[in-house]
Amino acid sequence: MAEIHLRIVTPDRTIVDRKVASVSFVGTDGEYGVLPRHAPLMTGIAQSGTATIVETDGQSEEMFISDGFAQVQNNVLTLVCEAGELAGEIDLDRVKRKEQEAREKMAGLNKLSQEFLKAEASLRKALARERLARKRAGSGTLS
Amino acid sequence: MANLKELRGRIKSVASIAQITGAMEMVASMKLRKVQTKAQAFAPYTAEIRDMIFRIAAKVAGEEDVPLFQVRDVKTVGVFVISSDRGLCGSYNSNLLSALRKKIDALKAEGKQVKFWVYGRKGYAWLQRRGFDVERFFVEPALDKADFASAKLVAQELVDAFTSGQVDEMCMFTTRFQSMVKFVPTDATFLPIKTIAVGDDAEQQKMELDFLIEPDATTVFNSLMPRYLETVVFDAMLQALTSEHASRRMAMKGATDAAGRMQKDLKKIYNRARQESITKELLDIVGGASAVS
Repeated sequence: MAEIHLRIVTPDRTIVDRKVASVSFVGTDGEYGVLPRHAPLMTGIAQSGTATIVETDGQSEEMFISDGFAQVQNNVLTLVCEAGELAGEIDLDRVKRKEQEAREKMAGLNKLSQEFLKAEASLRKALARERLARKRAGSGTLS
Repeated sequence: MANLKELRGRIKSVASIAQITGAMEMVASMKLRKVQTKAQAFAPYTAEIRDMIFRIAAKVAGEEDVPLFQVRDVKTVGVFVISSDRGLCGSYNSNLLSALRKKIDALKAEGKQVKFWVYGRKGYAWLQRRGFDVERFFVEPALDKADFASAKLVAQELVDAFTSGQVDEMCMFTTRFQSMVKFVPTDATFLPIKTIAVGDDAEQQKMELDFLIEPDATTVFNSLMPRYLETVVFDAMLQALTSEHASRRMAMKGATDAAGRMQKDLKKIYNRARQESITKELLDIVGGASAVS
Protein backbone atom coordinates (compact mmCIF):
# COMPACT_ATOMS: atom_id res chain seq x y z
CA MET A 1 0.00 0.00 0.00
CA ALA A 2 1.22 3.43 -0.88
CA GLU A 3 2.21 5.55 2.06
CA ILE A 4 3.06 9.15 2.73
CA HIS A 5 5.33 10.29 5.49
CA LEU A 6 3.62 12.72 7.84
CA ARG A 7 5.44 15.05 10.17
CA ILE A 8 3.59 17.42 12.47
CA VAL A 9 5.89 19.84 14.23
CA THR A 10 5.09 22.47 16.87
CA PRO A 11 7.46 24.63 18.91
CA ASP A 12 7.01 22.32 21.91
CA ARG A 13 7.32 18.93 20.32
CA THR A 14 7.07 16.79 17.24
CA ILE A 15 3.61 15.29 17.49
CA VAL A 16 3.60 12.87 14.59
CA ASP A 17 6.49 11.49 12.58
CA ARG A 18 5.47 8.32 10.77
CA LYS A 19 4.04 6.81 7.60
CA VAL A 20 0.29 7.10 7.05
CA ALA A 21 -2.19 6.37 4.27
CA SER A 22 -3.61 9.86 3.81
CA VAL A 23 -4.15 13.15 5.56
CA SER A 24 -6.71 15.87 5.21
CA PHE A 25 -6.41 19.26 6.81
CA VAL A 26 -7.90 22.72 6.61
CA GLY A 27 -5.68 25.19 4.79
CA THR A 28 -6.10 28.92 4.43
CA ASP A 29 -8.08 28.46 1.22
CA GLY A 30 -10.05 25.40 2.00
CA GLU A 31 -9.64 21.77 2.74
CA TYR A 32 -6.77 19.73 1.39
CA GLY A 33 -6.66 15.99 1.05
CA VAL A 34 -3.15 14.68 0.69
CA LEU A 35 -2.62 11.20 -0.66
CA PRO A 36 0.69 9.44 -1.24
CA ARG A 37 2.76 10.87 -4.10
CA HIS A 38 1.05 14.24 -3.87
CA ALA A 39 2.58 16.99 -6.00
CA PRO A 40 4.98 19.36 -4.18
CA LEU A 41 2.93 22.02 -2.45
CA MET A 42 3.20 24.81 0.04
CA THR A 43 0.31 26.53 1.75
CA GLY A 44 -0.89 28.03 5.01
CA ILE A 45 -2.90 26.26 7.69
CA ALA A 46 -6.12 27.78 9.01
CA GLN A 47 -5.99 29.59 12.31
CA SER A 48 -8.05 26.96 14.04
CA GLY A 49 -8.40 23.87 11.98
CA THR A 50 -8.51 20.16 12.17
CA ALA A 51 -6.56 17.45 10.49
CA THR A 52 -7.65 13.89 9.93
CA ILE A 53 -5.01 11.24 9.68
CA VAL A 54 -5.89 7.96 8.05
CA GLU A 55 -3.51 5.24 9.14
CA THR A 56 -2.32 2.48 6.85
CA ASP A 57 -4.68 0.02 8.55
CA GLY A 58 -7.70 2.20 7.78
CA GLN A 59 -8.11 3.60 11.29
CA SER A 60 -8.46 7.34 11.37
CA GLU A 61 -7.61 9.88 13.97
CA GLU A 62 -8.55 13.52 14.24
CA MET A 63 -6.49 16.29 15.64
CA PHE A 64 -6.50 20.01 16.26
CA ILE A 65 -3.93 22.15 14.48
CA SER A 66 -3.64 25.89 14.37
CA ASP A 67 -1.81 28.61 12.60
CA GLY A 68 0.99 27.34 10.49
CA PHE A 69 2.19 26.05 7.18
CA ALA A 70 2.04 22.84 5.26
CA GLN A 71 4.41 21.58 2.65
CA VAL A 72 4.70 18.47 0.58
CA GLN A 73 7.93 17.41 -0.96
CA ASN A 74 9.45 14.06 -1.81
CA ASN A 75 6.36 12.31 -0.51
CA VAL A 76 6.71 13.92 2.91
CA LEU A 77 3.91 16.09 4.24
CA THR A 78 5.08 18.49 6.89
CA LEU A 79 2.62 20.45 8.97
CA VAL A 80 4.41 23.15 10.90
CA CYS A 81 1.97 24.70 13.31
CA GLU A 82 1.95 26.76 16.41
CA ALA A 83 -0.23 24.42 18.39
CA GLY A 84 -1.57 20.97 17.86
CA GLU A 85 -3.11 18.16 19.84
CA LEU A 86 -4.46 14.76 19.03
CA ALA A 87 -8.17 14.55 19.79
CA GLY A 88 -7.45 12.20 22.69
CA GLU A 89 -5.09 14.69 24.32
CA ILE A 90 -7.52 17.55 24.55
CA ASP A 91 -8.37 18.55 28.10
CA LEU A 92 -12.04 19.42 27.95
CA ASP A 93 -12.06 21.31 31.27
CA ARG A 94 -9.23 23.55 30.21
CA VAL A 95 -10.88 24.20 26.86
CA LYS A 96 -14.15 25.14 28.55
CA ARG A 97 -12.33 27.54 30.83
CA LYS A 98 -10.66 29.13 27.83
CA GLU A 99 -13.99 29.43 26.08
CA GLN A 100 -15.50 31.14 29.11
CA GLU A 101 -12.56 33.53 29.38
CA ALA A 102 -12.75 34.46 25.72
CA ARG A 103 -16.50 35.08 25.89
CA GLU A 104 -16.12 37.31 28.94
CA LYS A 105 -13.35 39.28 27.27
CA MET A 106 -15.35 39.77 24.10
CA ALA A 107 -18.37 41.05 26.00
CA GLY A 108 -16.43 44.00 27.36
CA LEU A 109 -14.58 45.03 24.21
CA ASN A 110 -15.11 47.17 21.19
CA LYS A 111 -15.91 44.92 18.24
CA LEU A 112 -13.31 46.59 16.05
CA SER A 113 -10.41 46.50 18.48
CA GLN A 114 -7.37 44.27 18.18
CA GLU A 115 -8.12 42.67 21.53
CA PHE A 116 -11.57 41.70 20.39
CA LEU A 117 -10.16 39.95 17.36
CA LYS A 118 -7.63 38.15 19.51
CA ALA A 119 -10.29 37.02 21.94
CA GLU A 120 -12.44 35.89 19.05
CA ALA A 121 -9.57 33.85 17.63
CA SER A 122 -8.98 32.16 20.96
CA LEU A 123 -12.71 31.45 21.26
CA ARG A 124 -12.64 29.82 17.85
CA LYS A 125 -9.72 27.68 18.85
CA ALA A 126 -11.46 26.64 22.03
CA LEU A 127 -14.62 25.72 20.14
CA ALA A 128 -12.72 23.73 17.54
CA ARG A 129 -10.96 21.79 20.27
CA GLU A 130 -14.20 21.23 22.13
CA ARG A 131 -15.91 19.88 19.05
CA LEU A 132 -13.11 17.41 18.44
CA ALA A 133 -13.01 16.22 22.02
CA ARG A 134 -16.79 15.73 22.11
CA LYS A 135 -16.83 13.91 18.83
CA ARG A 136 -14.22 11.53 20.09
CA ALA A 137 -16.03 10.99 23.37
CA GLY A 138 -19.27 10.41 21.45
CA SER A 139 -17.84 7.79 19.13
CA GLY A 140 -16.22 6.16 22.14
CA THR A 141 -19.57 5.44 23.80
CA LEU A 142 -21.10 4.13 20.57
CA SER A 143 -18.52 1.51 19.80
CA MET B 1 42.07 30.21 73.32
CA ALA B 2 40.40 32.99 71.27
CA ASN B 3 42.30 32.16 68.09
CA LEU B 4 41.17 28.55 68.16
CA LYS B 5 37.57 29.53 68.63
CA GLU B 6 37.77 31.97 65.77
CA LEU B 7 39.21 29.30 63.51
CA ARG B 8 36.48 26.88 64.45
CA GLY B 9 33.91 29.50 63.50
CA ARG B 10 35.53 30.12 60.15
CA ILE B 11 35.74 26.45 59.33
CA LYS B 12 32.07 26.10 60.05
CA SER B 13 31.04 29.07 57.93
CA VAL B 14 33.18 27.93 55.01
CA ALA B 15 31.55 24.51 55.24
CA SER B 16 28.08 26.00 55.12
CA ILE B 17 29.02 28.19 52.15
CA ALA B 18 30.23 25.08 50.36
CA GLN B 19 26.92 23.45 51.09
CA ILE B 20 24.96 26.36 49.64
CA THR B 21 27.06 26.70 46.50
CA GLY B 22 26.89 22.93 46.07
CA ALA B 23 23.10 23.09 46.18
CA MET B 24 23.07 25.99 43.73
CA GLU B 25 25.29 24.03 41.40
CA MET B 26 22.85 21.16 41.46
CA VAL B 27 19.87 23.42 40.83
CA ALA B 28 21.69 25.06 37.93
CA SER B 29 22.53 21.75 36.30
CA MET B 30 18.95 20.60 36.68
CA LYS B 31 17.66 23.77 35.06
CA LEU B 32 20.29 23.47 32.38
CA ARG B 33 19.05 20.01 31.52
CA LYS B 34 15.48 21.29 31.37
CA VAL B 35 16.34 24.12 29.00
CA GLN B 36 18.31 21.77 26.82
CA THR B 37 15.35 19.44 26.43
CA LYS B 38 13.19 22.43 25.56
CA ALA B 39 15.72 23.54 22.97
CA GLN B 40 15.84 20.07 21.52
CA ALA B 41 12.06 19.90 21.19
CA PHE B 42 12.11 23.28 19.50
CA ALA B 43 14.86 22.55 16.98
CA PRO B 44 12.69 20.68 14.41
CA TYR B 45 10.23 23.58 14.29
CA THR B 46 12.95 26.08 13.50
CA ALA B 47 14.46 23.75 10.96
CA GLU B 48 11.14 23.33 9.15
CA ILE B 49 10.35 27.03 9.11
CA ARG B 50 13.79 27.87 7.75
CA ASP B 51 13.54 25.14 5.19
CA MET B 52 10.23 26.56 3.96
CA ILE B 53 11.59 30.08 3.79
CA PHE B 54 14.54 28.89 1.83
CA ARG B 55 12.32 27.06 -0.61
CA ILE B 56 9.97 29.95 -1.14
CA ALA B 57 12.59 32.70 -1.19
CA ALA B 58 13.55 31.70 -4.73
CA LYS B 59 9.95 32.25 -5.81
CA VAL B 60 9.66 35.79 -4.49
CA ALA B 61 13.14 36.94 -5.44
CA GLY B 62 13.08 40.36 -7.01
CA GLU B 63 10.22 41.69 -4.92
CA GLU B 64 12.26 44.09 -2.87
CA ASP B 65 9.42 46.03 -1.31
CA VAL B 66 8.91 43.63 1.57
CA PRO B 67 9.09 46.03 4.52
CA LEU B 68 11.16 43.75 6.72
CA PHE B 69 13.96 43.73 4.16
CA GLN B 70 14.02 47.48 3.71
CA VAL B 71 17.42 48.93 4.45
CA ARG B 72 17.04 52.49 5.69
CA ASP B 73 19.40 55.26 6.54
CA VAL B 74 20.24 54.38 10.13
CA LYS B 75 19.63 57.13 12.67
CA THR B 76 18.29 55.14 15.58
CA VAL B 77 19.40 51.68 16.49
CA GLY B 78 17.33 49.38 18.65
CA VAL B 79 19.16 46.85 20.75
CA PHE B 80 17.47 43.83 22.23
CA VAL B 81 19.51 42.62 25.19
CA ILE B 82 19.05 39.32 26.97
CA SER B 83 20.75 39.15 30.34
CA SER B 84 19.95 37.16 33.46
CA ASP B 85 17.58 37.98 36.29
CA ARG B 86 19.91 36.80 39.00
CA GLY B 87 23.57 37.12 39.69
CA LEU B 88 26.06 34.51 40.89
CA CYS B 89 26.58 33.22 37.40
CA GLY B 90 30.24 33.97 36.90
CA SER B 91 31.18 36.38 34.18
CA TYR B 92 27.98 35.79 32.21
CA ASN B 93 26.52 39.27 32.64
CA SER B 94 29.76 41.20 32.84
CA ASN B 95 31.03 39.70 29.58
CA LEU B 96 27.82 40.55 27.83
CA LEU B 97 27.57 44.05 29.25
CA SER B 98 31.17 45.04 28.63
CA ALA B 99 30.75 43.98 25.00
CA LEU B 100 27.53 45.97 24.92
CA ARG B 101 29.32 49.00 26.35
CA LYS B 102 31.78 48.92 23.47
CA LYS B 103 28.98 48.72 20.95
CA ILE B 104 27.10 51.61 22.52
CA ASP B 105 30.22 53.76 22.51
CA ALA B 106 30.84 52.95 18.86
CA LEU B 107 27.26 53.78 17.90
CA LYS B 108 27.28 57.02 19.88
CA ALA B 109 30.55 58.00 18.22
CA GLU B 110 28.78 57.66 14.87
CA GLY B 111 26.10 60.01 16.13
CA LYS B 112 23.37 57.40 16.26
CA GLN B 113 20.67 57.13 18.85
CA VAL B 114 20.33 53.88 20.73
CA LYS B 115 17.18 52.46 22.27
CA PHE B 116 16.93 49.32 24.33
CA TRP B 117 14.60 46.41 24.75
CA VAL B 118 15.72 44.32 27.64
CA TYR B 119 15.12 40.85 29.02
CA GLY B 120 16.61 40.14 32.43
CA ARG B 121 16.87 42.32 35.51
CA LYS B 122 20.66 42.56 35.53
CA GLY B 123 20.84 44.14 32.12
CA TYR B 124 18.01 46.50 32.93
CA ALA B 125 19.65 47.68 36.16
CA TRP B 126 22.92 48.19 34.34
CA LEU B 127 21.35 50.32 31.61
CA GLN B 128 19.27 52.29 34.08
CA ARG B 129 22.28 53.12 36.19
CA ARG B 130 24.00 54.57 33.16
CA GLY B 131 20.96 56.55 32.17
CA PHE B 132 20.24 54.80 28.88
CA ASP B 133 16.94 54.96 27.16
CA VAL B 134 15.20 51.65 27.91
CA GLU B 135 12.15 51.40 25.72
CA ARG B 136 10.78 48.26 27.23
CA PHE B 137 11.80 45.91 30.00
CA PHE B 138 10.26 42.46 29.71
CA VAL B 139 9.46 41.22 33.19
CA GLU B 140 6.68 38.74 32.70
CA PRO B 141 7.16 35.90 32.25
CA ALA B 142 10.64 35.43 33.67
CA LEU B 143 13.09 34.10 31.12
CA ASP B 144 13.12 30.80 32.97
CA LYS B 145 9.44 30.27 32.35
CA ALA B 146 9.26 31.87 28.95
CA ASP B 147 7.67 29.74 26.26
CA PHE B 148 7.17 30.20 22.57
CA ALA B 149 4.10 32.39 23.10
CA SER B 150 6.13 34.94 25.05
CA ALA B 151 8.86 34.90 22.42
CA LYS B 152 6.11 35.70 19.94
CA LEU B 153 5.10 38.79 21.88
CA VAL B 154 8.69 39.96 22.08
CA ALA B 155 9.22 39.40 18.37
CA GLN B 156 6.02 41.27 17.61
CA GLU B 157 7.17 44.23 19.62
CA LEU B 158 10.58 44.34 17.99
CA VAL B 159 9.06 44.10 14.54
CA ASP B 160 6.56 46.85 15.34
CA ALA B 161 9.32 49.16 16.50
CA PHE B 162 11.07 48.60 13.19
CA THR B 163 8.07 48.91 10.89
CA SER B 164 6.73 51.98 12.66
CA GLY B 165 10.06 53.72 12.09
CA GLN B 166 10.88 54.03 15.77
CA VAL B 167 14.20 52.41 14.99
CA ASP B 168 15.93 51.94 11.65
CA GLU B 169 17.77 48.85 12.65
CA MET B 170 17.24 46.24 15.33
CA CYS B 171 20.08 44.28 16.82
CA MET B 172 20.11 41.40 19.22
CA PHE B 173 22.70 41.36 21.91
CA THR B 174 22.69 37.96 23.50
CA THR B 175 24.92 35.19 24.65
CA ARG B 176 25.24 32.15 22.46
CA PHE B 177 25.96 28.78 23.88
CA GLN B 178 28.94 27.11 22.25
CA SER B 179 29.83 24.41 24.68
CA MET B 180 29.42 23.64 28.36
CA VAL B 181 32.35 25.92 29.12
CA LYS B 182 32.12 28.49 26.35
CA PHE B 183 29.51 31.21 26.01
CA VAL B 184 30.01 34.03 23.58
CA PRO B 185 28.31 37.41 23.73
CA THR B 186 27.03 37.96 20.22
CA ASP B 187 25.72 40.91 18.33
CA ALA B 188 23.41 39.99 15.47
CA THR B 189 21.29 42.16 13.23
CA PHE B 190 17.67 41.17 13.62
CA LEU B 191 16.02 43.65 11.28
CA PRO B 192 16.18 44.47 8.44
CA ILE B 193 16.62 40.87 7.42
CA LYS B 194 19.82 40.47 5.50
CA THR B 195 20.40 36.78 5.35
CA ILE B 196 18.46 33.80 6.47
CA ALA B 197 20.47 31.23 8.25
CA VAL B 198 19.73 27.86 6.78
CA GLY B 199 21.10 24.66 8.15
CA ASP B 200 22.60 21.94 6.07
CA ASP B 201 23.26 22.90 2.48
CA ALA B 202 23.69 19.35 1.27
CA GLU B 203 20.11 18.55 2.12
CA GLN B 204 18.74 21.48 0.18
CA GLN B 205 20.01 20.02 -3.09
CA LYS B 206 17.44 17.28 -3.16
CA MET B 207 14.52 19.66 -2.98
CA GLU B 208 11.99 19.83 -5.70
CA LEU B 209 11.97 23.45 -6.67
CA ASP B 210 8.91 23.32 -8.84
CA PHE B 211 5.90 23.25 -6.57
CA LEU B 212 2.43 24.61 -6.06
CA ILE B 213 1.95 27.53 -3.74
CA GLU B 214 -1.46 28.49 -2.52
CA PRO B 215 -2.76 31.17 -2.43
CA ASP B 216 0.45 32.69 -3.87
CA ALA B 217 4.13 33.02 -3.09
CA THR B 218 4.05 36.55 -1.73
CA THR B 219 1.19 35.88 0.67
CA VAL B 220 2.77 32.74 2.04
CA PHE B 221 6.15 34.42 2.25
CA ASN B 222 4.77 37.41 4.10
CA SER B 223 3.06 35.25 6.67
CA LEU B 224 6.08 32.99 6.97
CA MET B 225 8.45 35.87 7.72
CA PRO B 226 7.05 36.79 11.17
CA ARG B 227 7.12 33.10 12.10
CA TYR B 228 10.76 32.99 11.15
CA LEU B 229 11.56 36.01 13.31
CA GLU B 230 9.74 34.42 16.23
CA THR B 231 11.93 31.38 15.96
CA VAL B 232 15.00 33.62 15.89
CA VAL B 233 13.92 35.35 19.10
CA PHE B 234 13.00 32.15 20.88
CA ASP B 235 16.23 30.55 19.79
CA ALA B 236 18.17 33.51 21.19
CA MET B 237 16.25 33.27 24.46
CA LEU B 238 16.93 29.57 24.81
CA GLN B 239 20.59 30.01 24.00
CA ALA B 240 20.96 32.81 26.51
CA LEU B 241 19.20 30.79 29.16
CA THR B 242 21.33 27.72 28.50
CA SER B 243 24.46 29.85 28.75
CA GLU B 244 23.26 31.41 31.98
CA HIS B 245 22.64 28.09 33.67
CA ALA B 246 25.84 26.54 32.37
CA SER B 247 27.76 29.60 33.48
CA ARG B 248 26.17 29.53 36.91
CA ARG B 249 26.88 25.86 37.25
CA MET B 250 30.51 26.46 36.43
CA ALA B 251 30.80 29.39 38.82
CA MET B 252 29.17 27.45 41.61
CA LYS B 253 31.34 24.42 41.00
CA GLY B 254 34.36 26.69 41.23
CA ALA B 255 33.06 28.19 44.46
CA THR B 256 32.36 24.80 45.99
CA ASP B 257 35.82 23.55 45.08
CA ALA B 258 37.45 26.69 46.45
CA ALA B 259 35.47 26.38 49.66
CA GLY B 260 36.63 22.77 50.00
CA ARG B 261 40.25 23.80 49.58
CA MET B 262 39.86 26.64 52.02
CA GLN B 263 38.29 24.34 54.54
CA LYS B 264 41.24 21.95 54.25
CA ASP B 265 43.74 24.78 54.73
CA LEU B 266 41.87 26.17 57.70
CA LYS B 267 41.72 22.73 59.29
CA LYS B 268 45.49 22.42 58.94
CA ILE B 269 46.02 25.79 60.60
CA TYR B 270 43.51 24.92 63.28
CA ASN B 271 45.20 21.60 64.07
CA ARG B 272 48.59 23.20 64.20
CA ALA B 273 47.33 25.88 66.55
CA ARG B 274 45.65 23.28 68.73
CA GLN B 275 48.82 21.17 68.86
CA GLU B 276 50.80 24.27 69.73
CA SER B 277 48.53 25.15 72.62
CA ILE B 278 48.64 21.59 73.94
CA THR B 279 52.44 21.59 73.79
CA LYS B 280 52.50 24.90 75.56
CA GLU B 281 50.19 23.63 78.29
CA LEU B 282 52.31 20.49 78.69
CA LEU B 283 55.44 22.60 78.97
CA ASP B 284 53.70 24.70 81.59
CA ILE B 285 52.76 21.60 83.58
CA VAL B 286 56.22 20.08 83.26
CA GLY B 287 57.81 23.40 84.18
CA GLY B 288 55.45 23.75 87.18
CA ALA B 289 56.13 20.19 88.34
CA SER B 290 59.90 20.58 88.13
CA ALA B 291 59.66 23.86 90.06
CA VAL B 292 57.76 22.13 92.88
CA SER B 293 60.06 19.11 93.19
